[in-house]
Amino acid sequence: MQNKGKRPFGKVLMVLMIIFFYLPIAYMIIFSFNDGKSLTSFTGFSLRWYQHMLESQDMKEALYTTFSVAILATVISTIAGTIAAIGLSKSKKVIRNLMDQVNNLPMMNPEIVTAIGFMLLFITFKVEKGYMTMLLAHVAFCIPYVMLSVMPKIKQLDPNLADAAMDLGATPWQALRKVIVPQIMPGIISGGLIAFTMSIDDFIISYFVTGGGVKNLSIIVYTMSKRVNPSINAISTCMVLIITFMLLVINLAPVLSAKRRKKEEIKKRRILPGILVTAAAVLLVVFVKFGGSKEERPFEGQTLHIYNWGEYTGENIIADFEKETGATVIQENFDSNEQMYIKVANKEPYDLLVPSDYMIERLIQEDLLQKLDHSKLTCMDKLADAVKGLPYDPDNEYSVPYFWGTVGIVYDKTKVDIKDLEEEGFGIFLDEKYKGDVYLYDSERDSFMMALKALGYSMNTTDEQEIQEAYEWLVQCVETMDTEIVTDEIIDNMAQGRKALGLIYSGDATYVMDENENMRYYMPKTGTNLWSDAMVIPKNAKNPELAHAFINYASDYAGAYDNSSYVGYTSANKEVMDDIYGEGGDYEGIDAYIPRIDNPKDEVFVYNEDMKKIMGDLWSRVKIAASNAD
Amino acid sequence: MKKFSQLALPYIIWAVFMLVLPMGLIGLYSVMEHGNSIISFSFTLEHYVKFFTDPDFLLILWRSLLIAVKTTLICLLLGYPVAYFIAKSKEKVQNALILCITLPMWINMLVRTYAWIGMLSEGGLIQKVLQIFGLGNTDLLYTEGAVLLGMVYNFLPFMILQIQTSLSKMDNSLLEASADLGASPIQTFRRITLPLSLPGVINGITLVFLPAVSSFFIPKLLGGGRYFLIGNMIENQFITVGEWNFGSAISMIMAVIMMLLMMVVRKVEIRNQGGKEE
Repeated sequence: MQNKGKRPFGKVLMVLMIIFFYLPIAYMIIFSFNDGKSLTSFTGFSLRWYQHMLESQDMKEALYTTFSVAILATVISTIAGTIAAIGLSKSKKVIRNLMDQVNNLPMMNPEIVTAIGFMLLFITFKVEKGYMTMLLAHVAFCIPYVMLSVMPKIKQLDPNLADAAMDLGATPWQALRKVIVPQIMPGIISGGLIAFTMSIDDFIISYFVTGGGVKNLSIIVYTMSKRVNPSINAISTCMVLIITFMLLVINLAPVLSAKRRKKEEIKKRRILPGILVTAAAVLLVVFVKFGGSKEERPFEGQTLHIYNWGEYTGENIIADFEKETGATVIQENFDSNEQMYIKVANKEPYDLLVPSDYMIERLIQEDLLQKLDHSKLTCMDKLADAVKGLPYDPDNEYSVPYFWGTVGIVYDKTKVDIKDLEEEGFGIFLDEKYKGDVYLYDSERDSFMMALKALGYSMNTTDEQEIQEAYEWLVQCVETMDTEIVTDEIIDNMAQGRKALGLIYSGDATYVMDENENMRYYMPKTGTNLWSDAMVIPKNAKNPELAHAFINYASDYAGAYDNSSYVGYTSANKEVMDDIYGEGGDYEGIDAYIPRIDNPKDEVFVYNEDMKKIMGDLWSRVKIAASNAD
Repeated sequence: MKKFSQLALPYIIWAVFMLVLPMGLIGLYSVMEHGNSIISFSFTLEHYVKFFTDPDFLLILWRSLLIAVKTTLICLLLGYPVAYFIAKSKEKVQNALILCITLPMWINMLVRTYAWIGMLSEGGLIQKVLQIFGLGNTDLLYTEGAVLLGMVYNFLPFMILQIQTSLSKMDNSLLEASADLGASPIQTFRRITLPLSLPGVINGITLVFLPAVSSFFIPKLLGGGRYFLIGNMIENQFITVGEWNFGSAISMIMAVIMMLLMMVVRKVEIRNQGGKEE
């Protein structure tokens, strides 16, 4: 009776709730069909992001990893968890309580703590991180959840049930299977569902325990999402479809089979969806794994492990290289040099890295790189002179440049007066006229570079007084300017014209200017950072031969053109650079594309461990000051 | 009967390796002098001292706990009525509604968070809707509100499902009995429904609070790098700074705080149940 009175309120609440839950998903699906790259304005219907997704080996593999890990982890942890729960319920109380505490560890601990525990475990025991470590970790954190949902059902059971069954002549196994398991089935099912949900959605743990190029969808999104890539929306839409289909099968199958056989055995309805789900999973695996064909080529069957920046290769270069050489390329992405350094210093096996200038200097100093075999390199003559023989590797013994450019200010010409920029240079970041309208870039090096250059110092200073001044400059900036500290989100945000100005890499500025005609790029006269990222081969590379082949391929016209036109960063290949900037090129007349090489105040970063530590520490304090400024 | 207890043995061994040992390793790293190898072990407490003597770090910790508490409260307030409504529906409707709630959880959390960026940003859907109501150009993205919204959005289903499970387990005859004995609906709710759903509430709180406290991509994506929380700090130590020892120390501190908080929550639960049985 009372229920009827509550219904309207409940219904409204439910409807609101469903809108809340589904709105972002609907939004995502709609924008997966967007012709443009924007996430806020729909410019027309197109399937290009789906096409892009299908062409991307990375995405297909991520889809495979996500589903196969989730299915395996669910099956293993549901079975193991149920068995363990039944066992524990009959164990001594001391053991039971103790195990409750142990199981609480992954549930009561923040996920990141669990993740770090796993990571340290695998590293300490020298287990190579990859698919298996991810699966192990998923099983480990899923089991306690399964037990959590099975345990209460076991407790509700009449303890005499199993005894009664066995008194009547059932073996313990039969008692378990025919009496206990059916009784606790709802608990097992919901446990399995929780496990599946946890696994398929997991990011934090996977992120810390994976390696060797194995990525699940979350990791792909995390490393990609900084630069808008609507194929994420496309792949997510596919996932929605797959999951909806699976759920429909699970929910409709019992209805259908019930119709067919009325009330027969309940067992059947559990098997059918199981079979269908497994079949779907197998199909998926087959589709992903054996989608390609194979022929005889020079590096047939070999593997190249590349560790590169996220979104730093052209659309086709990897696939073309694979087609030409027969090799398989596994590309892992990092989003900072430091992140890459930690993995390389921990001897994770890569064949090719693309670090920045100062980091290459560090890797050389620490003897982590091997000298290149110049007799195998055919590309050196094709590179621009300005990007060769730089201080970090004067004779290019170790490195072949990949992309290069400057750091500068991207600004909206309708909001920023060019005179302010010319007068103030980087000082514009302290000009309260633009309060609330600026982006800082979340990088200690570039931020300190900006501050030091604004103050007229060298960005490679070792003078603590100067660093302290730069620190105060930055604190003043975040405290008075209401800044937002972003990383690659700046690219989309500026392309959408959301703020007046921001600190940006020239390559990203190129992209922004290409998308939004109001955007301009400015390099202060007081000098800036002239940077370059180059390809190097680590000492412990397993296939340096193939790595050399890739260096040549990426530096040759076709590869370099694909890279540069897609990413927007300046190619080290002279001809490509001229063609892309020149008439009919992809970035015709966009000045950010051409690095400035004639200002003597521009500098290249030098590696200095002490300064890096000091700046790193001070920068996190700047960020804290920024969060306190609100 | 005893035979079944042997079933637990393999899991106990597994748990020691996969659950206990990792925590031990974090503990070990956290009291080790700088260096990422446990072969050259030498004891130090400097990492803990570093954390507790720096007001900035303490502030981050406080802020992380605060935002997690807010998230949990909002989830509870929103989630309970929803769970109650679901649990009171007919079985078929109930299943459909649960499906509705669980489906989004299977779509990647990062992707769903990402979708909010488009919706919240300037010129995005939410702002356009707000403009219709004359609520001008308020900044939505990169605010604390955005982070909070992202967390509630991601973690609310956990709360709903937990509460719903415990509510639907409830024996309806209890409610009838209560009504027959003259209790008002509110009394029935307070005396019967609420205490019986408490285990679900507690589980829900746990499932919301923990990920909220340690989340680092929600503040990163929706807070725009301005909401530097403890999770971001740990990630930073391991992924970019490479100070594993200090990172381990922060992790330990977090783990201990969580344990203490959860113990308090469990105590509340036990006391409540104890009272009811008298």
